[in-house]
Amino acid sequence: MARLYIENDMARFTRKDITFVDMELYDGRKFENLEPHRLFPMSGLEKYITLLDEKGVEQAIIRDMRTLPPKDREIIEGCLEEYYMIPKITRIIDCREKYGVLRFEVETDRGHVFIEIRNIVHGLKLLYGIRVLIRDINDNRYEIPDLRQLDKHSRQLIDSFL
Amino acid sequence: MSNEANQKIRPRAAEDAGAERKGYIVNDPFRGNEFIANKSLTQEDVAKLEAAIPQGERLLFVIIGDLNIHSKYAKSMLAVTDKLIYGFDQAFPEGVKTHSYDKVKRAYAKRYYANAMLILSMDDSKSEYVDRSKEYTNFIRFSNKVASLYDAAARFIQNVAAGNDIEDELRIVAVAFEKQFCVCPKCGRTLIRPGAQCMNCQSKNKVVAKLAKYILPYKYELLFCMLLAIITTGVALVPPYMTRMLVDDVLPNGRKDKLLMCVLMLLVTYVVQYGVGAIRSYRLKVAGDKIVADLRNDVYEKAQHLPMRFYDRTSTGSVINRISGDSNTIQAFMLRVTQEVVVQFFQLVGIIVIMFTMNWQLTLLSLIPVPFVVMGSRTFGKKIHPYYRRIWRRWTAVTSILTDTIPGIRVIKAFANEKRSVDNFVKYNGEWLKTDIKASKITTLFPNIVGFVVTCGSLLIWGVGGSLVIDDPGFVSAGLLVSFISYTSMFYGPVNFFANFNDSYQGALNAAERILDIIDAEPEVDFAKGKHPDRLKGRIEFKNVNFSFDRSKKTLSNVNLVIEPGDIVGIVGTTGAGKSTLINLLMRYYDHYDGEILMDGINIKDIDMEFYRSEIGYVQQEPMMFHETIYKNIAYGVENVQVEQVIHAAEVANAHEFIARLPDGYDTLLGERGIGLSGGERQRLSIARAVLKNPSILFLDEATASVDSETESLIQDAIDNLIHGRTTLMIAHRLSTLRKANKIIVVDKGEIIEMGSPEELIALQGKYYKLVQIQTMSDQTRKMKEEERFD
Repeated sequence: MARLYIENDMARFTRKDITFVDMELYDGRKFENLEPHRLFPMSGLEKYITLLDEKGVEQAIIRDMRTLPPKDREIIEGCLEEYYMIPKITRIIDCREKYGVLRFEVETDRGHVFIEIRNIVHGLKLLYGIRVLIRDINDNRYEIPDLRQLDKHSRQLIDSFL
Repeated sequence: MSNEANQKIRPRAAEDAGAERKGYIVNDPFRGNEFIANKSLTQEDVAKLEAAIPQGERLLFVIIGDLNIHSKYAKSMLAVTDKLIYGFDQAFPEGVKTHSYDKVKRAYAKRYYANAMLILSMDDSKSEYVDRSKEYTNFIRFSNKVASLYDAAARFIQNVAAGNDIEDELRIVAVAFEKQFCVCPKCGRTLIRPGAQCMNCQSKNKVVAKLAKYILPYKYELLFCMLLAIITTGVALVPPYMTRMLVDDVLPNGRKDKLLMCVLMLLVTYVVQYGVGAIRSYRLKVAGDKIVADLRNDVYEKAQHLPMRFYDRTSTGSVINRISGDSNTIQAFMLRVTQEVVVQFFQLVGIIVIMFTMNWQLTLLSLIPVPFVVMGSRTFGKKIHPYYRRIWRRWTAVTSILTDTIPGIRVIKAFANEKRSVDNFVKYNGEWLKTDIKASKITTLFPNIVGFVVTCGSLLIWGVGGSLVIDDPGFVSAGLLVSFISYTSMFYGPVNFFANFNDSYQGALNAAERILDIIDAEPEVDFAKGKHPDRLKGRIEFKNVNFSFDRSKKTLSNVNLVIEPGDIVGIVGTTGAGKSTLINLLMRYYDHYDGEILMDGINIKDIDMEFYRSEIGYVQQEPMMFHETIYKNIAYGVENVQVEQVIHAAEVANAHEFIARLPDGYDTLLGERGIGLSGGERQRLSIARAVLKNPSILFLDEATASVDSETESLIQDAIDNLIHGRTTLMIAHRLSTLRKANKIIVVDKGEIIEMGSPEELIALQGKYYKLVQIQTMSDQTRKMKEEERFD
């Protein structure tokens, strides 16, 4: 079966639960309990959103969320917002390294938190020179969307590890 | 709650918490009953519990989490009693939510991305998929940090709701809590035993002290070198003194006899200085090389014993870099510390003493630049440290590309991707270059600034001292000034050294950190060194085994199975179902699973690892050969083997014939990773290896996956020879491989969905039945096509 790509207004979504939606296509086909996942959670936040059913089988792919009608887009974004937890770091308060474990105290858009990274090479990734992806010892994820937006002190703290 | 309990809420360490419940935090009794928790509760927490839980309910365990229902950071709390389940979250309308057991048929932790939700559902189907049309509650949200505890809590809730015994279930929860405590809360390293002190965090010793271990064996050698160094340094102080004599006494008075003596004396000093210096350099080089060799051996040895988990997370490039590069940096540094520091210090003191005795006023004058040099050095150190780290990172990236692409050169060529590969390398190498250039700006600028300041100091002496010579030659003679200037320039040698010392110290500190990261890393845990039965019979049992590589996705869930000695078990399932993971756990590549794996009734963690692995033969899908002769490759891992045993093993494995046909026979040297042999040939060598090892238990991981039908039958024969009388686990895609199996395990999405004899499973008409049908169909089509072709 050819892969079903959703674009523009060819589908209507209704929010089912925090991470689930129902989908009705313009041709009348209905899908229940689909969970939107990003196919590119790091590099493409708005493109290629796959819709998986309860068994984890893909039913369709949203090619680009930005082409959806505002209401549908909001629903999908809401689900993704619930599903993905990648706090954006807004300020680095402190950073200490001891015996190979890097401990950051940071302010994020989801609150204040301590991040512990064991392996710097594995845990801190710099993308395109400005974006930093962080993975801590518990496999929690964090992100600095744009290094340039951080204040000087925060930048100094993280700079030497990049 | 009593006042007494209210006042002393504290964590209790593993050892003193009583023999039975250890390894997690036991809070003070709540209304007379002990309960377990992952953190010690604050008075506020207890007050909340107090308010929510009615009298007469027994609190069993508490999980303190870190997310609220809207995935914002906030304290949350799951409290489970014998009657109800409580969720505390400030974001709830009333701050607390309750749920009763009888409204739960299914409880599970639904994984999201880097967070998860405890879901209590009324779905009672046995299907692996959750039916979302049944009523359910999104109960409480949590991050990966406590995910494994919530998994245990979910199992507890579901099983207790199904009527299981609370005490039994609580014991399983306790084990999960204990495991959480087995991880050092500070650094996250797995501890040797629950509640043990973390070696990593406990050690307050400075890096240097740890490295001293490598210097100590050569202390006499180093002391000898140091003695020589002091001699050369002392001798080096003579020439300027002679200059003074020459300028002040010999030359103006025309004393040729003294001149000859002076020249001869200078000759002697130079002979001593350079002769002794040469001997010293040689001895020092030898001692240094020995130190670095020891260090490298240690790192390599350690690297062999690190758990697979370490390698999953660390690029091989960075490990190689540490063994080859970092140990050299450290060696250079250790020599500097043990030698140069002392020598330069003596030189510094010696010069100052001589200068002071010659003329203290001029000496003070020449000391003026010192504070600037020292201050500069400190600032420099702070600036340069991050650069060294960055340079190392960039360099590791470069080496990672090398270790990635050079072995994969065939693929690169096959895709004509040479240019892109080079571009990639150039890009990363460029990154390294850019960082290195940035650092170079600082590293080269600094010594030159120091040099400039120092030279300015000598200008001062020329100026002031010169005018003194002109005004009052009796107070300061020309000779004194000249020798003073030479001493001053010598004096700044050590000053410069100490100023730059920071630089090499920082570099070495970084290198040491990375080396110690390996040396100090927890090796594969082997509690039971030396404890093992004479021979393993091969009864394998999995009890409630749950496993995930990282916490974001579960790879195996709730695996229970029993394999009797002599069983030939086929493991089938789709790719990624968790078949190889079963074997990985049995091989003890990963130890951080929940539940127990028993071998002959003994937990495999309680059997000497070396013995245990030596009892297992493992034929992998892509057998790894080493850059050695065929003979040594077969005899790999078996000591004191007879030639004929090797030949016999090769014969059993259907390998002897092809080896005999090779011009170099058993002496054929294989290329890296066995280049020069076909896949089937390599496979048969690896079977020969297993035959020679004579293991009690055999694991075959898709041994015939990548070969043609004819080779397959050769390998199949070899396998049939091999498995005779041994407990065997076979992973196979082609069901034909499993014709000898008396038991089949079907794995799907990390769970065992079917288990039994092939006949039973066929009768069951489940997944195995479907697989058989599909394969028979495709076999038939293949046969038909083949026949067509031959027609």
